[in-house]
Amino acid sequence: MKNEWVDTFTGSVRVKAEGKGTERLINACVRNGITVWNVKKHSRDTATFFIKLSDVKRLRHIARQSECKLSFVGRTGLPFFWRRAWRNSGFWLGLFVFIAIMFLLSNIVWNIDIEGAAPETEHQIVRELKRMGVERGAFQFLLDDPETLQKKLTERIHDITWVGVQWEGTSLHFRVVEKEIPKPKQPAPPRHLVAKKEAVVADLFVEEGQPLVSVNDYVQKGQLLVSGIIGVEGRTKFVPSTGKVFGETWYKSTVVLPLETTFHVLTGKSIERHYIGIGRFSLPVWGWKKPTFTHTVIEREKRPFRFWKWDLPFYYERVIVREAEAVKRSYTWEEAFAEAKKIARRELQAKLPEEATIRGEKVLHQSKESGKVRVELHYTVIENIAVPQPIVQGD
Amino acid sequence: MMKKWRQQMKRWMTEKLELPADIMMDLPRITMVGQIHIYIENHRGLLAFSDKELRLLLRNGQLLVRGEQFVIKTILPEEILLEGKISQVVYIEEEKR
Repeated sequence: MKNEWVDTFTGSVRVKAEGKGTERLINACVRNGITVWNVKKHSRDTATFFIKLSDVKRLRHIARQSECKLSFVGRTGLPFFWRRAWRNSGFWLGLFVFIAIMFLLSNIVWNIDIEGAAPETEHQIVRELKRMGVERGAFQFLLDDPETLQKKLTERIHDITWVGVQWEGTSLHFRVVEKEIPKPKQPAPPRHLVAKKEAVVADLFVEEGQPLVSVNDYVQKGQLLVSGIIGVEGRTKFVPSTGKVFGETWYKSTVVLPLETTFHVLTGKSIERHYIGIGRFSLPVWGWKKPTFTHTVIEREKRPFRFWKWDLPFYYERVIVREAEAVKRSYTWEEAFAEAKKIARRELQAKLPEEATIRGEKVLHQSKESGKVRVELHYTVIENIAVPQPIVQGD
Repeated sequence: MMKKWRQQMKRWMTEKLELPADIMMDLPRITMVGQIHIYIENHRGLLAFSDKELRLLLRNGQLLVRGEQFVIKTILPEEILLEGKISQVVYIEEEKR
C-alpha cells in the first residue's frame, strides 16, 4: 500500500472537487493509477482528497472530462516546505546574521578596567597592554590567557608587586597592588650602626653618631661601628646614627664548568598554524605549510569561543612550530678556565648590592676533572657593612 | 445457461479443493476492525460516498456501508479502506432477470 513517509518527500496536495459526480471522478482517478487518500465528503456536492504532487497534471486531464470543478486547498511535504523556507529566507538570513553578530560581539574585549592603580601606573599598564594587543575591540581568543598576561605585566612594570587578571564576561578586569614606596624622612628612632659581617674597615662616612672604629680596623660580625649615644658622660644624648662604613670583605666561590655542552637553540624560523576544534577533533583553518625543520619546539595555545556569557565547546587553537637547532659548545682548557672565572664574577656581582665593588680576585685552586674544570676563587669586595640596630631605651 | 453452469462448477471446485472462495468466485473480501475500519477487496468502483454512507459496485450487486464520519483512507482500483463509525454493512442483490 502507500507509504506516507515517501509522500512527505515528494509532496502532496489536497484537492477540493465541487460538482456532481465526485464519485465518478475518484473512480476515474483510481483507474488511471492516481493514488488517492483521505477522501472526505463535506456536503452532497463537495469532496476533498489528497493526491501526490506529481499526479496533479494527470488529475487536471481527467477532471476535464468530468463535471467537477477543482481547486487546491492545501499543500504539504518537502517541496512546499522548501518553497516556504525560500520565501521566508529574509527571516532566516536575519536570524543567522543576528546569531553571527552576537557570536562576534561575544568574542570581543569590551572593556578593560584597572583597579587599584595610581593614574601613572594605570597609564603604563594600558600602554603595556596595548603593546600585547590587549585593547578594547580585540578578539578574546587571540589574546594571551590571564596567567600569561599577569606574568608579563608583573615582569614589565616595576611599580606593581602583583596584578590579578580576570575575565568578567566580555570585560577584562585587572586588580593591581602597587609597590609601597617607603615614606622618606620619617624620624628614625635612636640607633647604632653595627657590622653586617667580618671585614677590615676601608672607609668611613658618618653623618650622625659617634664613630668607634677607624680605617684598617678589623671588625667582627655584630660589632658596634657607630654609636648612637653622643656627648660626654653625664650629658649623653641618643641620636639615630646614620652613615656608611665601607669594609673590605671576602667571598669564596667555586665554579664547575663542563668543556662540552649541547643545547637547543631556537633559530627564529617558525610556522604558525590555526585550528578550530571541538573536543579532540580540530580542523585546520590557516597555515598549510609543512615544516622542513628537523628539530622543533611546538607551542600550543587553546582559547574557547564564547557566546553571550558562556564558553562554547568550540575552541581556537594556535600552534607555533619553531625550528630548534642543537648547538655544541666546546672549550679548550684555557678557555674553560677563563669562562669559569667570568661566570663566578657575574654570579657574585648579582648577589652583591649595587654600591659594592669587587677589588681583587685570586685563584685559590683550579683543576681538570673528566671533561670539566673546577675553579675556586677568592674575591675581595668593598661594600657597606653598616646596618642599623635600634637602641633599647627605658631601663 | 452456460454462465450458471460455470458458476456452479466453480462453487463445486472451491468446496472440494478447499480453494479460497474470494479468488475463485470473484467475491468481495471484507475485513472489519470493530466499528472503526472496514477494508473491502474486489470491488468494482465507487458509486456514492458521503460522510454517512458508502455505496460500492460489486461484480453482482452492490455493497452499502452506513455509519458516521466516513473518510476513505485509501482507494485503489480493487481495494478500499474506509474509516469512521460503521453501523451497518448491507448487500444489495441484483434484481434477477
